[in-house]
Amino acid sequence: MSLVRAERRRFFKRRLTRWVFPIGLLLLVTIASILFAFHSKPTPEARARGEAAAEAMYQEQVRYYEQYKRECGEKCPDDGWTGPQRTDFRAEDFMPPSFDFKAQYGELFLVWAAIMAMVAFLLGASFVGAEWASGAMMNLLTWQPKRMKVLGTKLGVLLLSVAALSILALGVWTGILWAAGELRGTTEGLTPGVWQSFGLTALRGLGMILAFAALGFGLASIGRHTGLALGAALAVVIVGQVGLTILFQMIRVQFWEQYLVPVHIFAWMNKEMKLMDYSSPETVCDNAGNCNPPELLITWQDSGSIALGLVVVVLAFAFWQMRRRDIS
Amino acid sequence: MTAVLEIQGLRKTYRARGGPRRALDGFEMYVEAGQVHGFLGPNGSGKTTTLRTLLGLIKPDSGEMRILGHELPRHLPSVVGQVGAIVESPQFFAHFTARDTLSLLADAGSLPKERVDWALELVGLRERAKERVKTYSLGMKQRLAVASALLKQPKLLILDEPANGLDPGGIREMRDMMATLSAGGMTVVLSSHILGEIQLICDSVTIISLGRRVAAGPVAEVLQAHSSGQVKVALETPADLSAAAQVLIAAGFQLQANADHLTLSGVDKPALIARLLAERQLYVSELTPVTADLESVFLELTGTAPVPGQVRSVDQSVRPELTPQSGVNS
Repeated sequence: MSLVRAERRRFFKRRLTRWVFPIGLLLLVTIASILFAFHSKPTPEARARGEAAAEAMYQEQVRYYEQYKRECGEKCPDDGWTGPQRTDFRAEDFMPPSFDFKAQYGELFLVWAAIMAMVAFLLGASFVGAEWASGAMMNLLTWQPKRMKVLGTKLGVLLLSVAALSILALGVWTGILWAAGELRGTTEGLTPGVWQSFGLTALRGLGMILAFAALGFGLASIGRHTGLALGAALAVVIVGQVGLTILFQMIRVQFWEQYLVPVHIFAWMNKEMKLMDYSSPETVCDNAGNCNPPELLITWQDSGSIALGLVVVVLAFAFWQMRRRDIS
Repeated sequence: MTAVLEIQGLRKTYRARGGPRRALDGFEMYVEAGQVHGFLGPNGSGKTTTLRTLLGLIKPDSGEMRILGHELPRHLPSVVGQVGAIVESPQFFAHFTARDTLSLLADAGSLPKERVDWALELVGLRERAKERVKTYSLGMKQRLAVASALLKQPKLLILDEPANGLDPGGIREMRDMMATLSAGGMTVVLSSHILGEIQLICDSVTIISLGRRVAAGPVAEVLQAHSSGQVKVALETPADLSAAAQVLIAAGFQLQANADHLTLSGVDKPALIARLLAERQLYVSELTPVTADLESVFLELTGTAPVPGQVRSVDQSVRPELTPQSGVNS
């Protein structure tokens, strides 16, 4: 327990922790505040203006449609379209936006998870990388020679601390968005089922954040320097994402998007991601005769398995190296 | 006396680009309880590898090591609480204060908080303990490193170049501290290149060259074993030095004439010199054996004495031959 206490103190005393987490939190607060500022509660006057604008737009479209029918006469194609429908012109579309907590909060988990994942990766990489680079790890091992215990404790403390910080950030994020719903929109329709769905999405978000923390930690531990983890991240972004995108498009790899990290992040957070190959000459038709380009469905289980495998491999290699390699 | 530290047949080979490099080659070392033991060797001789191997940071290829009777590295976790060490120049987080740095180590070692103040006081950093390490001079960082090693109040203290960056006053304080700690029963292993200090502080030494022990034992014995049998002769009347030199050369002595004295080599009976000169009415005012200092013994044993006009590579030093019994000719 003493090592846990020491590592926890070290984590929260570190300059990077004291800078990067507040910056991440500030980013979240800024985004949430902008959302708050650009939404407003629908007043009767605003609704009346919206209804009037929707009606005017509807009437204008009807005029256009009738003019079109007059001009083409009998040559008009019989495509089944009977002209603009009044129900398609909603007052809400002509009113200042209001924040619907139920509809929008779930989608915005991705923002919180992505920002905190970035913070977690940096903290994870630096927590162990700076120790290696400075010689503090060697010093610590002259106090605690059980290497697996030292690295395991550091990883455990990192994950617990990052989880605590992420939950804190989620609390602040949720608080501002809840206020936006209450004061600039609505918080209606929040059934237990909706909250359960929010909870599960938050858990997946937390899992993603911890995976990024573990990846940063593992890579920096393997390279014994924070720079290796940051370099690997940069390589993945530049070579693995931009480069592969260009290459796969050039050689026309089907569903090349499946190799992009953001696609998997989206699939993980939103439970699935459907990719469609619009460049394919083939189409797939259902029983009703609706034909679409070929699809590839990526589920959160697919993305989660890939991420878990990657994290396990990186951490296993980091621990194996810690056991085997000389420290000099 | 019981051995606090024992090393036998220690071997370690590093894989390097230019082929394997043997850092330790059957190295041996014994340090008895309560001693201040000097551990000397040229750059690249294997000192730091030895210390790191002892501390479990490097895995040896073969050999036996014991600290306080515990076999290493198997029982290192059970004995590490009694071993304080600094290896080379330990770096600390620049933005932590000295107190934070020691306090975190005390936490990691389950030590009481009071130890932190005790260690800071001992190395003279108590007044500056709340300042960030980045504001410290090299000497102050070195003091902090020593404080971190002392924090455990260890039975064995291993210090690698503790005087690095210290001012003359700091070096003297460090010397006094070693003496105090040793008098209190602590065993100190001290690696340093300041050989004058080692000679002053240490009870015994081990000298390593290219991974093998070249000499070991009490400082006086090592110096005696490698003294050249030289004698310094001065006369009451310096003007008689020339005449005295002629007498001694005629008697078969080899000598070197200096401005105010003669230095004779290979003398086994110094009294003979006084008698020969007295017979010629040449009266000796000083007749003293020239004892070798640790620096000259070190340079001789390791073969690292500078030669005018030559640049010595770091790996150019003496590798002694192994013998079946002792392991090393010393």
